[in-house]
Amino acid sequence: MAGTACFIIVSKNDIPIYEAEVGSAAKKEEASQQHQFILHAALDIVEDLAWTTNAMFLKAVDKFNDLSVSVYVTAGHTRFMLLHDSRNEDGIKSFFQEVQELYIKILLNPLYLPSARIASSHFDTKVRALARKYL
Amino acid sequence: MANYLAQFQAIKNTSDRLVVAVEDVSDLWPSVKEGLEKRLPLKKASLNNKTRNPVYVENLQAEFILTTDSRLRSRFPQEQYLFWFREPYATIVLVSCEDLDEFKTILKPRLKLIVQNEEREWFIVFVSKAHPNNDQATKNAKKVYARLEVDFNTRKRERCCKLDLNGVDASFWEDFDFKIVESIRNTLDRRAQFYEEEIRKMSEQRLMPVWNFCNFFILKESLAFMFEMAHLHEDSLREYDELELCYIETVSTPGKQRDFGGLEHGDDQAALLKPGFKPLSQIVQDDSFREFEFRQYLFARQVKLLFRLGRPLEVVMRGYSFIISFSKTLALHENTLPFCLREVWVISACLAIISSTSSTYDGLAAPDNEKEFYRLHGDLYSLCRIKFMRLAYLIGYGVEIEKSPVNSASLSMLPWPKPSIWPAVPEDASAKVLAKEKLILQANPRMKHFNIQRKQLPLEPSSLLREANRRRASLSVGNLSELIDYRQIDGSGIDGHQKFSPSTTNSMSRTYSGPNLESSLSLDRPMRISEVHVAAEHALENTVTDPDLLKSLSSLEEFEQKYMELTKGAADNYHHSWWKRHGVALDGEIAALCFKHGNYDLAAKSYEKVCALYAGEGWQDLLAEVLPNLAECQKILNDQAGYLSSCVRLLSLEDGLFLAKERQAFQLEVVRLAHSEMKHPVPLDVSSLITFSGNPGPPLQLCDGDPGTLPVTVWSGFPDDITLESLSLTLTNTLNTDEGVKTIKSSDAHILKPGRNVIKLDVPPQKPGSYVLGVLTGQIGNLRFRSHNFSKGGPQDNDDFMSYEKPTRPVLKVLKPRTLVDISAAVSSALLMNELQWLGLIVKPIDYSLKGSLLSIDTGPGLMIDESHTIDINEYAKTMEDKVHAHDSNTITENNTHPLEPKQLYIENGKIALPDWASDTSTTLWFPVHAIDDRMARAASADSPHRQNMVDGMRTIALKLEFGAFRNQIFERTIAVHFTDPFYVTTRVANKCNDGTLLLQATIHSQVKATLCLYDAWLDLQAGFVHVRKENGRPVSSFFPLVISPSSTAGILFSICIDNMAIAADQNEVVQAESILNVMYGISGDRSNGAHSPTSLKLGSSDKLFFKVAIALQRPILDPCIAVGFVPFSSNCLRVGQLINMKWRVERLKDLEASPSSSCKDEVLYEVDANPEIWMIAGRTMGHALLSNARGSRTEITVTCMPLVSGHVRPPQLGLPAMDDANISCNPPGPHLVCVLPPTLSSSYCIPA
Repeated sequence: MAGTACFIIVSKNDIPIYEAEVGSAAKKEEASQQHQFILHAALDIVEDLAWTTNAMFLKAVDKFNDLSVSVYVTAGHTRFMLLHDSRNEDGIKSFFQEVQELYIKILLNPLYLPSARIASSHFDTKVRALARKYL
Repeated sequence: MANYLAQFQAIKNTSDRLVVAVEDVSDLWPSVKEGLEKRLPLKKASLNNKTRNPVYVENLQAEFILTTDSRLRSRFPQEQYLFWFREPYATIVLVSCEDLDEFKTILKPRLKLIVQNEEREWFIVFVSKAHPNNDQATKNAKKVYARLEVDFNTRKRERCCKLDLNGVDASFWEDFDFKIVESIRNTLDRRAQFYEEEIRKMSEQRLMPVWNFCNFFILKESLAFMFEMAHLHEDSLREYDELELCYIETVSTPGKQRDFGGLEHGDDQAALLKPGFKPLSQIVQDDSFREFEFRQYLFARQVKLLFRLGRPLEVVMRGYSFIISFSKTLALHENTLPFCLREVWVISACLAIISSTSSTYDGLAAPDNEKEFYRLHGDLYSLCRIKFMRLAYLIGYGVEIEKSPVNSASLSMLPWPKPSIWPAVPEDASAKVLAKEKLILQANPRMKHFNIQRKQLPLEPSSLLREANRRRASLSVGNLSELIDYRQIDGSGIDGHQKFSPSTTNSMSRTYSGPNLESSLSLDRPMRISEVHVAAEHALENTVTDPDLLKSLSSLEEFEQKYMELTKGAADNYHHSWWKRHGVALDGEIAALCFKHGNYDLAAKSYEKVCALYAGEGWQDLLAEVLPNLAECQKILNDQAGYLSSCVRLLSLEDGLFLAKERQAFQLEVVRLAHSEMKHPVPLDVSSLITFSGNPGPPLQLCDGDPGTLPVTVWSGFPDDITLESLSLTLTNTLNTDEGVKTIKSSDAHILKPGRNVIKLDVPPQKPGSYVLGVLTGQIGNLRFRSHNFSKGGPQDNDDFMSYEKPTRPVLKVLKPRTLVDISAAVSSALLMNELQWLGLIVKPIDYSLKGSLLSIDTGPGLMIDESHTIDINEYAKTMEDKVHAHDSNTITENNTHPLEPKQLYIENGKIALPDWASDTSTTLWFPVHAIDDRMARAASADSPHRQNMVDGMRTIALKLEFGAFRNQIFERTIAVHFTDPFYVTTRVANKCNDGTLLLQATIHSQVKATLCLYDAWLDLQAGFVHVRKENGRPVSSFFPLVISPSSTAGILFSICIDNMAIAADQNEVVQAESILNVMYGISGDRSNGAHSPTSLKLGSSDKLFFKVAIALQRPILDPCIAVGFVPFSSNCLRVGQLINMKWRVERLKDLEASPSSSCKDEVLYEVDANPEIWMIAGRTMGHALLSNARGSRTEITVTCMPLVSGHVRPPQLGLPAMDDANISCNPPGPHLVCVLPPTLSSSYCIPA
């Protein structure tokens, strides 16, 4: 499991709809805000990159000192962004793919409005489990 | 071979162009030099690149050097071989000869000798000095040249060309250029091949111990240099790239411990653009070069070539990645390098790349490239900025750096420099230490606005104090507790930037001021933070050689100026590259600095940009960091509108981002401003804070014209209760958009609790349609606010969760106008005239409550309400039910046991208030009325029964019902009620007895739906008639009471006789013109059916009613004077439109003396009476006809008339107004009706074809 990992889902209109610190490292109070900042800035790069490739998994698009930002863009242009320090690209890819399945299940929920915050605790639990498994 | 490095360097510096050797055989150079050198640089040259593909090179620089020149002569063969790239690429042999023999004997062997060197590329230029006019000379020259061509040209290649000094042929120069280029190309190819071969050979030895990188480098760079001279920059660049790869491979081979370099003075300044910064011979290290210098050298060479190729973008790209990778390399060797050399180097490298590329960038690149270019510039600026901040932090300016996410993320994840030994405090630095301490003390950590207490973000990866002390050689690492204790005393805290408390400050300054400072700086004592700063500053002063950078770090003002410059550079470039998020984050830093310097206007502008981005994208954590700053700026600038909206935005952020206390502070600010005197009251958009929605469930339904109360759910995002002075909402009709929006207001003060509130708003009557909520507006103090947003919020688990994306739901439906109530008469049959009767009205609500309704009753002429009586009300349905139950009995029990008791009502001012229980059910109202008809009823003859005119008995009653919640609905109706006499009477003479007694039969027809009971009847006779036996006028037989069922008849016989004496006897009395039939009767009827006994109203009064009927008795025509006869029509049938003559014959039966009434003796007055709608009379309708007084005289009256309608119609009647009816005998009587046929069909309009 990765030491630092911050996972954020950004809706197609750039609003973060889900955030989770999934790293095993001891949580610093300020870390979440820094991570948010880094991921937010990385959206600039994703914007440039997303249209240049057919692949959903954009791999590590940005590096911030020792941390990398890996991004997965769904067909609906929802972006899964992971700030991580691990180098396990395959694991990250699998993580993203499985999270996408979970996300699709959320989308299928008739009570969920697209681009609204994901508040499902079930989703949260599952994502954290996936993070433990793959990252 | 490495010994040649210096020489190689010198050669490279001197030779920068291709050399063309000139072998001047016939001393011609001075005369042709000018012409030849004009051809340089070569305009267009086709050369082969390394892969032997043709490349066109323009303006190829070259130089002609005579072979006798010292530069070409004194070279050792080995040198020549090694530095072959500087050898001539072509040899021009200048020859002139005018004598063929001379050529053969002298020149040719000499030439052969010159050109025998295979490695040279040569060609012969034959210069003819012959004047064109001198034919002989020209001829000789031609001969010689021809010979020359034969001797030296081969089939493959022509090596001769001829230059006429007098009159140069243009084709010569083309030929000349071609030959030079050809030679150069060939030479270049051969040499490239040679070098490649050598390089290949050497590469094979790479892994052997004999491998020497320097040798390889000389070969490789020679090749690269040769390409560069030949303007084949692309190839040259590739050589350098390969060289770099090879070098990195070499240095990364483990085993040999090499010097890294970077320890010399000036090394802190990157030499990325200065290939000649240090001679290569200085940096040679065994068989290779020092990495620090050499990699910079290689990069500098590459950059030079890239600039030549016109690719500033690539320079930046390569530059950025080089800086990053080289920075990592520097980190590996950090313990041997001067303190912070890495950071200083990166700063200078970034700035060098930026300045060199931005000056050469022409801005004409493709948009994508341009974006990339600016993005890289942004990255460089940003990198430079981070390193600069790091240096500033080390020397103690950290307290002045904004602790924003961008700075924190950049600095706190960047490890500290790792020198082998952390610099120690220099000698006699006590003044500096004090100054630093003062700086730290004076630093005023900015209190966040609204007393927001939030842990400040760190700017250091770990405590600098700990790091510095840990890395001091003399200090044991494990003494952590001591450190922490110390820090606590020191007051700098974990972050090293917390504010000193005053008490510790005093003690500190006492302890460390004064002469004993030196002793306190013993090596064993951990350094204080100020000492760390001083030590770092001292060390940096030793490291940094760039005066600009030193200056920037020398004072806080200089630092901030540089910091601003870098931040602006980064932000601008990011904005140019459309990386708005990067750019805007840096804008925030600019704003922070502007704010610090009191430049609030600029700060607010920048902060607004940042807030707009974060708010637009919903990154609330980040927004929460900046928004208070913006609010503070706005407050200082007295921008009330902005400040208010910032407060509202702060309040509308997610709950968890601020403490409850802070949120309350925001609210207080809003309320304070709202109640203050604002110069320009501004409308405030609180859409994010106060949201609203209609109540769940079906929309409120109102009938047209009804006001209502609309409950609206309002969500308040304020942390505390907030008082709204007024509140209004707009409603939009979804069906009819023309109408615009309607505003409904509630002027009451509302107190909104945090969370959900239900507010009821009065809705005035609206037009029919379905309405949705529009905008919520209201007032807090003097502040008008508005909200467009439907509720999104509320707790997430709430069922009422709504979203702005949901389609708006109608909250109010106003139905189309319809009848809400109906009032009709309960009984259709007639009531008794001139008697008190119950008039029933059915009030029927149609799905609408009549609660509180008022019924006004206005009676028409001839009808009055008896107000002395109460009004009955009962349930209509019940009445009907009762009727069903008691349908075989006429009596209806109205006082059934029912919870809704029928009630007695009173009429007040002509209005009746309906009881509440009657609001939803149909009720019947009974009220007493009295219809008045002064006319006496008249009996009709049985022969010509004449029904009473219906209109006479009709009375109207105007009703007005005011109902609805506010009596806003009005129902008006006029109801016709039919009144009638209880019966009408027809009379006939049943029999004429011989004794003159007449049996008068009075037939009584019941006109009411009730049983009539006659108790008594008597007849008051008119003059001329008397009762037989002088009775009291009672009927013949007495069988009273006589019961008459509804709609049936009964007859009464009276025997009367004509009184012959009467006329004479009663001359003085008032003659009774008509007989009167008096009837005493009773009625038993039900008011729900029609006429009924009025006795139920007046209790105790007699139930016998009295009714009078006038009967006109006509005496028989006893003395006819005139007989009128109708002459039959001449034609059988009458037709419409046909003129006919109607004739009457008038005959006098008596002499006129007996008749006193006639005034004219010999004529008679006649009048024709005809209905003008049926008959058209031609001529007079009235006139005198001559008729003599003598008995038996007769005359005929003719009137021409025309029927206007077909059918059986009454013909015109002739009347004699001057004569008493009793004196006229009609014989034969005229027809009652005549038949008129329709007009004959006219064919005149049918025109045959």
